[in-house]
This record gives sequence, structure tokens and C-alpha cells, in this order.
Amino acid sequence: MQVYKALFKVIQKNRTLLMIYLVVFMVLALLLSGSYNPPQDTDFTKVKVNIAFINDDGDSQLVAGLKTYLAENANLVDIPDETQKLQDALFFRQVEYIVRVPDGFTQAMLNGEAVQLEKTTVPDSTSNIYMDLLINKYLNTVNAYTTNMPGLSQDDLTKYLAKDLAQQTEVTMISNGTHSVYAEKSGYYFNYLSYSLFAILILGVCSVMLVFNDTDLKRRNLCAPIRSANMNFQMILGNLSFAILTWLVLISASFIMYGSFMFTTTGLLLLLNSFVFTLAALSISYLIGNLVKSRGAMSAVANVFALGSSFIGGVFVPQALLGDNVLTIASFTPTYWYVKANNEIAAATSFNATNLQSIFTSMVLVLAFGVAVLGVTLVLIKQRRVEA
Amino acid sequence: MFLFNYRYRLKCIFKDRQMMFWTFLFPILLAILFNLAFSNLSSSDNFLKVNVAVVENAELDQNPAFTEALDGADDLFVVKYTTRAEADALLADNQIDGYIVFDPALNLVVNQSGLNQTIIRGFLDDFVQSSATITTIITANHAALHNGIIAGITSRSEYLKAVSASQSSPDSVVNYFYALIAMTCLYGGFLGVKEVVAIQADLSDVGARINLAPTNKLTVFLSSILAAATVQLLELIMLLAFLIGVLGISFGNQIGYIALTCVVGSLTGVTFGTCLGSIIKKGEGLKIGILIGSTMIMSFLAGMMSADIKYIVMTKAPILGYLNPANLITDSFYALYYYNTHTQFFTDILLLCGFTLFFSSVTYFVLRRQKYASL
Repeated sequence: MQVYKALFKVIQKNRTLLMIYLVVFMVLALLLSGSYNPPQDTDFTKVKVNIAFINDDGDSQLVAGLKTYLAENANLVDIPDETQKLQDALFFRQVEYIVRVPDGFTQAMLNGEAVQLEKTTVPDSTSNIYMDLLINKYLNTVNAYTTNMPGLSQDDLTKYLAKDLAQQTEVTMISNGTHSVYAEKSGYYFNYLSYSLFAILILGVCSVMLVFNDTDLKRRNLCAPIRSANMNFQMILGNLSFAILTWLVLISASFIMYGSFMFTTTGLLLLLNSFVFTLAALSISYLIGNLVKSRGAMSAVANVFALGSSFIGGVFVPQALLGDNVLTIASFTPTYWYVKANNEIAAATSFNATNLQSIFTSMVLVLAFGVAVLGVTLVLIKQRRVEA
Repeated sequence: MFLFNYRYRLKCIFKDRQMMFWTFLFPILLAILFNLAFSNLSSSDNFLKVNVAVVENAELDQNPAFTEALDGADDLFVVKYTTRAEADALLADNQIDGYIVFDPALNLVVNQSGLNQTIIRGFLDDFVQSSATITTIITANHAALHNGIIAGITSRSEYLKAVSASQSSPDSVVNYFYALIAMTCLYGGFLGVKEVVAIQADLSDVGARINLAPTNKLTVFLSSILAAATVQLLELIMLLAFLIGVLGISFGNQIGYIALTCVVGSLTGVTFGTCLGSIIKKGEGLKIGILIGSTMIMSFLAGMMSADIKYIVMTKAPILGYLNPANLITDSFYALYYYNTHTQFFTDILLLCGFTLFFSSVTYFVLRRQKYASL
């Protein structure tokens, strides 16, 4: 098994390079899937929009009432009243809605004069519509009281408002079956996995192939007293072991983070899907390894492939947010089908013929990519040998 | 000698295919990927009418006021009147966000908590609350009934007036592209490292040859740096033209200030490279590694991977933002795009000039008067 051993020696020499991608992945996976907490779908909870409330009017019960009402229905974020700080908060969506009560608002409102609050929003956003609904509701109710019950004290007015606006409709929540907290998180984890797996496999396989495809070394190897079939077998075995080793290292953290969840149907399907993807990625790496001529080109190609397919395949940005034409292009990469299957596995609350068929179709497609690319590579190698 | 060296350094840089890939093609490639991936991101929180079903039954017929109110809210909802079984099927299929049923009290049925569901609920609450208000008013003031209170409550006044935050829309996606430009500027450091290697006698044969020449090393080095900065600026302008012309990214319209940022950013990037190249005495691999690593960390803190990071740094640790050249470049573009005043922009540019000066002085003091006993 000299060839097999030599192959791993080359990989050993490149371990720093490969470790970088491993560390990048671990940090990404921990940060992004750790900070994400999917909503629990057992009871209905209001979604609260982050807003900033600024009062330029004096302290009145009316304004205080409005603020309390908003605090119940939205998250009031404390932002200092400075133009740039408010602009920043809106730009980076720290708040999605800024409402400013102008000077003299309470008096005008109580006298029934036409007066308006100033809102600064993300234009056309859903949160904008919702906050408009809430604030207009409050002020229209105030108006109804002031016009129909003249001489009402502010004290009584806020009491009436609080009483009326406490009325709520019943909400029934139909649960679609239990959904593990881990399902969505592990879905993210396995999506990110594809980026590092791809990068590590391309770099690892390329650095091996660059050594073995070196013309002088190749000639020397060809006159070694070892059958060429045997040598090829050891090469294939070596690359395969490297790929499986990488896969094992990358999935190992999922067992630590999600524990026994990985042994449920969802977890096992995710593992199977990532294994199928590993095979396809290995096959693509093998093709690249036979095409690339220098180490400089190697890192360029690895970055372009890993980053490119991850961006358009829905690893970094969810597929739901990608445009249709982007997804059409992406469907020519195995990453797209891998991520699609992952999302379907993570989203399923129970597995039936329909969703299993869709999941396995994706897996078969990924495998088909692998086989097709392997075929191309073998033809290429054959042709090269004839030329040499 | 100055022009001679300048011309040949330009040729050397342009012929270095790997260098051209990382400093020029790679940023353009990333820009294309960003554009493909993020183009729908800013429109994803745009409001789309909420799909809602109403179950038709006897109780609904007894509440014509509700149907009327719902019809009045056609800017919020797409309403479908149907049977309960059908509504359940639509909900299970996620065709609707929820359905409304009188059972016999008003009831909302949903399968998840979301903003759309909250909007439906807000609308229903509104209806119930208005009824409560009418009851309260009529109990206290019977005359109100004759003064058209019901009409008064159903006709709504608009109490909100939109004031925009700035002349540009708060589209956080542009920040990714600004951070990408910052990364490109710092990748100019590759060119800086290359020039230092090419002039140091202990690092390259070319360097040894140049040190033999009877010319002032500073003159030669200045022309090398100028060549690197020229290439970097050229690449940056092409990237900018690509971003604006092909991808349609908005940079505001202050061309002069944008150009100034590009020039200062290029210089910062190149001198950052020369500084790293001269301080680190070990091999070129280590220099490049540290360059890439530090650029990536700085770009990350400037919001290239997630715009929120920039905001967190801005509010929680502003000093970190001011000590980070990548963030300063990003922030300059951001300030030009979004702020109404130029205070922040000039602060950023001055600090960048400070960094350039610092990097150049370090390079100068390390490189000057080096003698070699043997090579």
C-alpha cells in the first residue's frame, strides 16, 4: 500500500491549508446556527416589530398611554435622538419604524384639530403597514371619544382607551405535528457543511494530484514493479478514504451539538444526504485535480467553486430568497440539490411518500452529477495517457 | 530611472496572472455572487397582501358590519369566502396565512406565528375594540347614537406622515458591496508585498540586482509603490464601474468624493502590504497568509459577511471601527450614500490618510539603510 501511504503523506503536508477551512466552517456553523432560534409553534405569539418612540411633546397621559399601548404590541428600542444614530438604526434594521410625537400634539389631539405624527420607515415593508394599523387605531379611538364625549378628562380618556384596547380576539393554533428545535438548526448546519466540504476536498485532492501528475514523478511511478490497476485502485481507495475522513470530521460536531437527534429519521436522512454529496464533491474535486496545473491555480479554483456554488445554491442565503433565474443556474450544481434536499428534510414534520420521493430524487441527482463528472474525468485521463 | 523602473514594475504586475486574479477578478466574481444572492434580499420585507379566508356560516351573515369592514381593508387582505373544511385544507397547504370564523365569537385560526398572522389579528382586534368603544360611548352619552357615531368610527383619519431618513433608501444590501470594495483595497496589499520582495536583496534575486545599481533606493522604491498604486487604482475604478454600470449598485451621486475615497483606499491598501512585507521577515507564504487573514477579519468587522456586525461594532465598540481600515473605507462610502452631512466622511478619510502615513513610515524605517554581509 505504498501509493495509499504516499497519498496521505501529501495530505499531511497540506494540513494547515485544510485546517483553515475546517476552522472557518466550525466558527460559521457555531455562530450562525447557534444564534438562530426557531419560533416554537405551540401557542400563538404576536410578532413584535422593533420601533423607536421619540416624544417631542410634553409628558402627557395621552402620549404615555400611546407609548404603553405600543410597548405591548411592539418592542420599543432605546435609540438616542440624533439624526445619524437614528439613520444607522434604520439602515441596519435595528428598528424598522421610528415614530416622533411633535410638539403640541396632545393639545391639538384633545381639541380635535388635525395633527399628524411623523414616521420614518423602511418604505413598503410589512412592518410599516402593521405599525400604521396600530397607531391609527389608537388615535382614531381617541378621536371618537373626544368628539362624542366632549369635556372628557385625560385621566378618564386613557382609562377608557386602555379598557377598549385590551379586547382581543381568540386565536386557535393548528399544530402541524411536533417539530424538533434541532430540525431547523441542524438543517443550517448541514447546509454550511457543503461549503467547507467542497473546499477541503478540492484542496486536498488537488494537492495530491499535483504531486502524482508531475511528469517526472509519473514516469518514475509507471516503471515501478507494481501493476497499474493496483496503483489506480490504491489511488481511488486513498481519495475515497480522504473524502470519508473529511465527512466524518465535519459531521462529528453535529453529534456533539444535537446529540440523539442525529439518530432520528430526520438526522439520519441529513447524514445520508451529506454522504451522497461528499461522493459528488469528491468526483468534481478529482476532475479539478486532473485539470489544475499549479498550486496558485488550485486555491483560486477551490475558492471559486466552493464560494460560487454555495452562494447561488442557497447555502449562505436561503433558496427562498434567491431569484428564479439564479436558481435555474444553480440547478446545474450538485450544491443546489443537496441544499434543496436538506431544507425539505429539515422542514418535514413527518415523512410520507410525497416528500420522501422529492428528497430521494434530489439525492439521486447529486449522485448522477458525481457519476457523470467521474466519467468525464476518466475519458480525460485516458486521452492524456495516449498523448503522453 | 524613476520612469524606467515604473514602466517595468507595471509590466511585472500585469504579467503576474495569479496576482491579477486575486486583486481584480476575485472581487468582481464576489460582486457577481453577492448580486445574485442578495438581489431579492431587500425586497423580501416588502409588503404583499395577506391571504385570508373567511368561513361562511349563519353567524357571519348576522355580522354584516364585519364583512363591510373586511371589504374596506382590501389594501391589506386578499379575502376568500369558503367553507370550514376548504379553509382547513388551504391552511394546511399554506395557501392562506389564516382563516376567520365566527364560532360564535370572532376566532382566528392559524398554523404558525408570523407578522402576517399578527396583522390579521390586529385587524380583528381593531373590529372588536371598535365595538367596545361604541358601547362605552353610547352608555355614557346616548345622544352620540343620533350624531352618527358609527359612521364616525368606521371613517378613519390618517394620523401618520412619512418623513424619510435620508435622500437614499435604507437598503442595507449596499453595505455588502461597500465592504467588498474595502476588501479589494486591502487586497492591494498583495501588490505591496510583491514590491517589497522585489526590492529587498535578501528576499529575491531581482532585489539583489536592484541594490547593486548606483541609484537611490528610495527613488526606486517610490516608483515601485507608485506602479503598484496605479494598478490598484485602475482595478478599483474598473470594479466600481462594474458595480455601478452592470450591477446597478447605488453609491449616491457625489462622484468627486467617491473618487477621493478610491485613491485614499488604494494607497492605504498598498502601504498596508508594504508594511506587512517589511515587518515580517519570514517567507512570502507567511506574508500572504497574514495579509489574507487580517483582511478577512477586518472585512468581517466591516460587515462583509453580515451587515449587522458593522452595526454592532458601531454602537458597542466604536473605537474598533475607527482602528479598522476596512471599516473606514466601508464607512466612507456609507456616509456618502446615506448621511446628509460630510462630518463622518471627512473623519474617515482623515483617519485613512493617517493609516497610510503610519504604514509608509514603518515601511521606510524598516527598509532604509539595510546592508548585507553576504547573500
